[in-house]
Amino acid sequence: MPPPPDPNGVFLNVPYDKEFSSLYVAYIVGLFHLDLVPHLASEIPGGGRRLDRIFKLIQSCRYSIHDLSQVEVSVAPTAVPRFNMPLELGITIAWEKLHPSRHTWYLWESEPYRIQRSASDLNGTDAYIHNGTPEGVLRELSNAFWSDRMPSVPEILENYRWIYHKLDAMLYKNGTSNPYDRSVFMELCYISKILADLTHLTKPAV
Amino acid sequence: MRKPIHITTLPPTLEEMEKRFRIPKARKKELQELVEEFKSTHLVRDMAPPNLIDSEKRRKRASAA
Repeated sequence: MPPPPDPNGVFLNVPYDKEFSSLYVAYIVGLFHLDLVPHLASEIPGGGRRLDRIFKLIQSCRYSIHDLSQVEVSVAPTAVPRFNMPLELGITIAWEKLHPSRHTWYLWESEPYRIQRSASDLNGTDAYIHNGTPEGVLRELSNAFWSDRMPSVPEILENYRWIYHKLDAMLYKNGTSNPYDRSVFMELCYISKILADLTHLTKPAV
Repeated sequence: MRKPIHITTLPPTLEEMEKRFRIPKARKKELQELVEEFKSTHLVRDMAPPNLIDSEKRRKRASAA
């Protein structure tokens, strides 16, 4: 049996697409403001089978968010269906079924009722609908989780905008165009954590 | 929709998380400069003690009346 999961850990199962980067940053910023800590498959160092490493990461997190809003096949002639995210969701569902006290998973979509068509086995599972916007991601995060010192959604949104505005500079400094690279993800986490702490500090004690 | 989960455990501190971030020192300094920029543009008013904000509001209300 693996060690108990991190009670603040959230495994993020999201598409590694450029078009998704604004929502990806919103997830990171939002989770830190809710006292949660995001984890991404790309943060795991190499070596061994990738799937084993991902499963280990899922096991180490108390929660997971599976965003299936971009599972459609693109129009490119070489396009293939995106199976990674549903595969990781399947692994997580099995893990939660075996150990319900150790893990809780959440399903996220951009359109209501689409999940019933793309994965009808998930019927009966309420998806959090973010409408494909960072505001929607932050709103739905605060519908899924809450903490005593969480700021309001507009406050988190303001911090998100400031961080997202710095993303291009972060990519440049890390010599990459990929916001999902480990180094960029860690910098986004670092800045988000500091801003969340600062925002929590300015909140009156409850 | 299920009830929102109440997060009651505090996350690790920044110092505790730094091992995981593994950001080079020079780069960390640059990021800290960015944070200073954020502080100067976003937190000036909010950092004021609550009683100061309240008295400011009272003063504005009184002058409007």
